[in-house]
Amino acid sequence: MGRASDRTQLEEAEPAGDSLPSWLVEPEAYVPAADRDGFVQKSLLSLTGVLSRLRMDDGQSTSLSPSAPVKLACGLAVILMTSLSSNFAFTLVVLAGMLLRTAALPPKALRRVVGVSFTAAGVSALVMVPAVLLGQSQSALLMGTKVLVCVGTAMVVALSTPVHEVTGALRAFHVSNLVIMTLELALKSIVTLGKVATEVLCALDLRSVGKNRSKGTSMGGVGGVTFLKANEAARTTADAMRCRGFGGEYQAAPRGAHKPIDLAWLLALVAVGVLFAYLQGVA
Amino acid sequence: MHIPENYLSPSTCGVMGAVMVPVWLHAARRVRQTVPREKMPLLGVAAAFSFLAMMFNVPIPGGTTGHAVCGTLVAILFGPWAAVLAISIALAIQAVLFGDGGILALGANCFNMAFVLPMVGYGIYALVMRAFTSRSSAEKPQAREGRAQAPALELVAAGVGSYVGINAAALCAAIEFGIQPLLFSNAAGQALYCPYPLWVSVPAMLAGHLTVAGAAEAIFTVGILAYVRKTAPSFGIEGALAPADEATKTAPTASQAHAARASLAALLVALVVLTPLGLLATGDAWGEWATEDVAQSVGYTPAGMADGWEWQSLLPDYSLGGLPDWVGYVLSAVIGVALLVIAFRAIAAGMKSKVDFGTR
Repeated sequence: MGRASDRTQLEEAEPAGDSLPSWLVEPEAYVPAADRDGFVQKSLLSLTGVLSRLRMDDGQSTSLSPSAPVKLACGLAVILMTSLSSNFAFTLVVLAGMLLRTAALPPKALRRVVGVSFTAAGVSALVMVPAVLLGQSQSALLMGTKVLVCVGTAMVVALSTPVHEVTGALRAFHVSNLVIMTLELALKSIVTLGKVATEVLCALDLRSVGKNRSKGTSMGGVGGVTFLKANEAARTTADAMRCRGFGGEYQAAPRGAHKPIDLAWLLALVAVGVLFAYLQGVA
Repeated sequence: MHIPENYLSPSTCGVMGAVMVPVWLHAARRVRQTVPREKMPLLGVAAAFSFLAMMFNVPIPGGTTGHAVCGTLVAILFGPWAAVLAISIALAIQAVLFGDGGILALGANCFNMAFVLPMVGYGIYALVMRAFTSRSSAEKPQAREGRAQAPALELVAAGVGSYVGINAAALCAAIEFGIQPLLFSNAAGQALYCPYPLWVSVPAMLAGHLTVAGAAEAIFTVGILAYVRKTAPSFGIEGALAPADEATKTAPTASQAHAARASLAALLVALVVLTPLGLLATGDAWGEWATEDVAQSVGYTPAGMADGWEWQSLLPDYSLGGLPDWVGYVLSAVIGVALLVIAFRAIAAGMKSKVDFGTR
């Protein structure tokens, strides 16, 4: 019924029906058979997710953000002080600061911080259930809040700093050149090899049309190709380093000069340190 | 008006919770339909206004205190169902983190302050707006003048709506308190939970809310609404009842949006900084006394209160051990506001964007 009316419509629209061959006028009723390629799609999506996170950082630095070394120092100091603090008031003050910063994050980064930190806090609260049953609910509360603050702070620092700035910031802490080089190479390799894996998966998805059993076995091929490419990339990098006179020392140029806002952040850190010392005395 | 733990019987709490579950589900569905994704963070800001308003305690003659809720304000800005959701989340944060209102009594508190208050308040607001708008449009020569008076009319309607709304909520809370000794008492005739019957609770609650707390609610609602309409006209969703000002019809430019955001942030910061003013009102709100005070007042400790369940909150009564009260108050306000904004921004981030690809 529907097909007949479609044809009538077409004929009405095209009075000179001879201009189109009859097989072209015939409506297509092709419904492909259900395909079992969910694993290819899932692998593609997760790979793309990792790549997008590495290449286009969720959180971007704002005008109020400090430079990466200062941000790293502040984050580490706050996590350390929260862990050592024996006064719950200090943990709550830091919690307020962490929540304020989180509230200003871009939506994607905010969701990740909330998801990860609240899950971690929930798990630690679950672990502390026996303490609650023994009448030590305050300990469970303290533990859950401390985990929330520490994980949240680490996530905020990580998500609001581009990856290359983090490795650059490590130089300010006199981390071994070899460690920085390994980290940078590893990150770059993840991006390069992730791209290769995505392309191979795309090819598999496009070329393997219809229902067949060879898709599952092809997954091994994807891993194999990526491994071979990794090997090739490592060799090429080593050759390139030798060509450029690599003498075993990795000279990373200091990135990102200090900003004026750094001073305000350092002053805030000092204030938090003073509050920590005062509240430890009160406790 | 925050009913504490053990003032209501577990069965009353269960009934109120069961009543609220379909209300919350319906509210969530309506919010998904009516509030656009980009406006969800602003709903969080509106919930923060309500959270902060509840921290400003005002003294009530008789030695108790009361506070505004701003439920009608959120309903006017985002619709009554959005207000149900926003104020419920604010009340949940208050109960879990600050011990303000019981965890078991959350259903009852949400019924009073997050459901009855915005619904009644918005209903009255809508009635006043419709009554006067239709009258001014019927008198065509004065139509232009009527349009000029629209913001003033909206403020009057908001004031009346919020006043009636908070009193309706107080009446519900008083009934919930008052039926406890009538339904739950032991063989000796002693109440198991709240010991005050209806003929005590209703006049006591309404006396405070018809006078000071009602006035505080109207002042907060009208004040914040006037500020928001003037500085951030695009705040809230486009409601049929909002005055059709030319400025709100057109989409705001980037600089206007920035100025609106700055003015809202300034209002939030000002409210957070001023929250310690709520400490000036000494004494407890009616029905929010400690168990020892109830025992002293009625001559016995109600059994349900003596053996009741207590929740260990993060900052009990918005106070922080080792630090002055005002620091605890400000810190609680910061944590509460940040959590509300985070909650609504996270909800917005999880919502699917609606793009209309239809033909135009």
